[in-house]
Amino acid sequence: MYMLRIMSTLAWRNLWRNHRRTIIMISAITIGVWAMIFMTALMRGMVNEMVRDGIRALPGHVQIHGRGFLDDPGINNLLPMKDEDVTASFDAAGFDAWAGRIRVPAVVTSERDSRGITLYGIDPVRERDITFVAGDIVEGRFLEDADDSGVVIGRKLADNLETELGKRIVIMSQDPDNEIADRGFRIVGIFEARLEAYETSMLFAGKSAIQKMLNVPDRINEVVVLGDDYRNVDPVVRKVTDLVGPGVEVLPWYEVDSYLGTMMTVMDGFVLVWMIVVFLALSFGLVNTLVMAVFERVREIGLMMALGMRPTSILLQIVIESLLLLLLGLLIGNVLAGATVYWLRDGIDISVVAAGMEMFGASSLLYPQLTAHDVVLANVVVLILGSIASLSPAWRASRYDPIEAITKV
Amino acid sequence: MTAVTCIELCKTYRQGDQEIKALDHASIDIGEGGFVCLSAPSGGGKTTLLNAIGGLDIPDSGEVWIAGKRIDNLGKGELANLRLHKIGYVFQAYNLVPVLSARENVEFVMQVQGVPAGQRAEKSMAILKEVGLQGLEDRRPAEMSGGQQQRVAVARAIVSRPALVLADEPTANLDSKTSDALMELFVQLNKTHGTTFVIATHDQRVMGYAKRLIKMLDGRIVDDIDQQAA
Amino acid sequence: MNIVLRLAWRNLWRYPRRTWLTTGAMIFSNVLLVFMISIQIGTYGLMIDNTLEALTGHLQIQAPGYKDDLKMRQVVPDAISLAASVREGLNLQTVSARGAAFALASSEDRSYGIQVLGVEPMFEPGVSSLPGLTKEGRYLDDANAAEIVIGSVLARNLRVSIGGELTLLGSGRDGSIAAGIVTVVGVFHGGNKELDRGIAEVPIGYFEDTFDMQGAAHQIVINAGDYSKTEQLVQQANALLPADSKLVVHDWNALQPGLRQAIQADMGSAIFMYAVLVVLVAFSVLNTQLMSVLERTREFGIVMALGLTPGRLGRLVMLETALMGLVGLVMGSVLGGIVTSLFTVKGIYVPGMEEMAGQFNLPSRMYPQVSALTLIAGPGIVFLFTLLAAIYPAMRLHWLQPVAAMRAA
Repeated sequence: MYMLRIMSTLAWRNLWRNHRRTIIMISAITIGVWAMIFMTALMRGMVNEMVRDGIRALPGHVQIHGRGFLDDPGINNLLPMKDEDVTASFDAAGFDAWAGRIRVPAVVTSERDSRGITLYGIDPVRERDITFVAGDIVEGRFLEDADDSGVVIGRKLADNLETELGKRIVIMSQDPDNEIADRGFRIVGIFEARLEAYETSMLFAGKSAIQKMLNVPDRINEVVVLGDDYRNVDPVVRKVTDLVGPGVEVLPWYEVDSYLGTMMTVMDGFVLVWMIVVFLALSFGLVNTLVMAVFERVREIGLMMALGMRPTSILLQIVIESLLLLLLGLLIGNVLAGATVYWLRDGIDISVVAAGMEMFGASSLLYPQLTAHDVVLANVVVLILGSIASLSPAWRASRYDPIEAITKV
Repeated sequence: MTAVTCIELCKTYRQGDQEIKALDHASIDIGEGGFVCLSAPSGGGKTTLLNAIGGLDIPDSGEVWIAGKRIDNLGKGELANLRLHKIGYVFQAYNLVPVLSARENVEFVMQVQGVPAGQRAEKSMAILKEVGLQGLEDRRPAEMSGGQQQRVAVARAIVSRPALVLADEPTANLDSKTSDALMELFVQLNKTHGTTFVIATHDQRVMGYAKRLIKMLDGRIVDDIDQQAA
Repeated sequence: MNIVLRLAWRNLWRYPRRTWLTTGAMIFSNVLLVFMISIQIGTYGLMIDNTLEALTGHLQIQAPGYKDDLKMRQVVPDAISLAASVREGLNLQTVSARGAAFALASSEDRSYGIQVLGVEPMFEPGVSSLPGLTKEGRYLDDANAAEIVIGSVLARNLRVSIGGELTLLGSGRDGSIAAGIVTVVGVFHGGNKELDRGIAEVPIGYFEDTFDMQGAAHQIVINAGDYSKTEQLVQQANALLPADSKLVVHDWNALQPGLRQAIQADMGSAIFMYAVLVVLVAFSVLNTQLMSVLERTREFGIVMALGLTPGRLGRLVMLETALMGLVGLVMGSVLGGIVTSLFTVKGIYVPGMEEMAGQFNLPSRMYPQVSALTLIAGPGIVFLFTLLAAIYPAMRLHWLQPVAAMRAA
């Protein structure tokens, strides 16, 4: 312990003998660490926002359908159990939030135009906690209950159809016997979403009204369940599977929307690769600095060895010197990255490329997100790889022959 | 015309909280073709005087004239130009560019002077022969003895035939035999080309070769001996 | 060889380890830059081509406002004859008129809302890849037949196959009900879910009758062959429009604003990452050259005493840096070119790529495209910053006092 303290003191003082070099190296490490963490925070912010938005639009962490629904999302793949049975069993199971819905493709026609959309028959009370739409009503109101005879449509869809709040639209779809079912609805609310695609493709109506229109009383084709954390949905999947038994498909969100799902895994991979690449770019400079530091101290090292210092102590001293460099760089880099993220906490407006971001499925306001996991990862990557990189010059220093080293000019 | 004229040169250094008078109203006149030794104990001011003559160091007060031109008020660039073309410099050992060979060290200065390549090769070979380094032209400094290195430095200093050569302790790192050989070379160059030599030294043997010996102490000229007469 | 050049080159190799470590950082970054930029260039080109080839074409003639609202009544009058005159005026065969409507398509047991395109069977293959991707059955061949070609997912969802019948139900140009029965003659595999799920094509003559278009259509699609020719064609097409018409010509960037912006967004994040790499290399160079200048203080003092100006010495340091940068540039470009070339044929596969790539109309493998530009762009910028980094060390020589410098150890 005493030895370690001496080593550290020596290493610290040696570090500042060539303060220019040390400052340059610390700056480089700082920039590298800042870039690692900041870039990761940006990407995380973007992806997490995408996933959260996606989950609010899917919606839910876990979805339950009849088998084959995802291939053929319509009225023909109803859940085998009745709506009221589902209600009874899911309420009893005590989920954070859940909702049964009817979701079918449909055509909506106004006086002026028509569009293909997805019609959602929902229970507004339950849906409030799950889908984005309840909170994003910009005109009128949200649906009041499952029997509500109004509909809520997106701003962009309303514009396309040249219709507005209070006007009537006709919705056409098919019932299970493939008979065209149509009915007029009054628009009671208009919502805005972060992605235009949601505004043009989603239309919400009361569940009971849709059940009646499609002639499927007391039946639904989708149940969505919200757990407490979207990163950990497997327990919810298991619980739901136990509840509904075989014959239905229970899917976590990352399988329902595999683009979003892969996005998460790809991002994890990207973060690690990015950190390692930055570190490698740094490592050349780090090793270089240590090589120079060792080289100009050859005589001194020889002297220390002649005085009886062991090679391992020399090795340790160089490694400590390198770790001190890294720690200083990490410290400043972390603080700087944290400060940058804090400074940008209101989001970065990149609406110049809004349509492009929509292709990614992301919105044009970017919120960098600092997660403990990423910060720890960056620090660990730098410290561990940094120690490994410093071993080679340290090893060389500890292998000097004292006599040769002392006499070296 | 005199080669070098110094009038009332003063220069003070601070070392810690101590003031050191490196030059204290020092005045000298050196005629063309002179062969002068500046001698002083360590810290006596001889290097400072030499550097003032060479325009490396600007005195606090006083005037320096080289070949009829005042130089202590010139800019950095003009001074560099002056040294490049008019003055040859020889230092203590280890003053060659280590990565260049003997010939390249000599040619390097000429290239900076703008001498065309053909002339450079010819001149450098000739001058190295003159200083007795024939056959060693392609050696790097590390592959030569101290005396040989110093001859390269001399060759470098005189290759452009400067009227004035300044040497600062040129024999400091040489043994007596090599020192004598180097001084013989200086004497011979002084005789054949009429080059003025000003040598700062505290080596008695070197002083023996000088036509004129100027002694300094604490920045002052304390003695000026014409040795030719003796 | 010039002595100054020789001097610089030899100075560079006084400490080969240090020089190699510094050039190593350059080579590492350069290889990475060549590789990444090659991938970007390859991907962007493919992304533009694939996206535009499917349906959009490089430019379109439309009624003003149509591209945003897609309303039935925003029409191009006398579209077929206009298309013919544009074809003649541009001396380009790849021009085709197209009508577009939303309709509910019903088979015997399913109904889906889709977009129905009325196309000129003769000319559509010139502006869209879908006819060529009609692998099952055949593409349309009669401009007036009651026939339809649909996407593969739609065929599956509707449970129809070649020879099956579909009922179309939508609204016509004036808002009246439009209905018709068509026979499925072909199924295309567009490779993009949106297309395969939601698009169907009928002959333009049949389309006009069914949707009561009165000779009008919605788009005149022009394929320029190469997206770089778009601008020129836009001007020519504008000149060909009837003098009294309010029609407008949109280039692909206006039609698919997401495309360029997605590329810009991607480039934005890429540039940030590249900048970090370049800055880290610059720091490495700064460190090395500063050390190299500082340790030669005495030597510099002597040559200054010989009459070399600080400017000349500064240029020497810049020359040394340039030589080092050149080594990094050449080796990095060559190595990067070799590594990248290895992947140009086989492509690069990253787990999770299919999902990501599908979003942007890309194949599941990335094919880098090596060109002079991709070989030089990144390394060139690294070289530039290498030189910039050496300015401070070179400037330090101006403050060097020869007398003091010669005394330095």
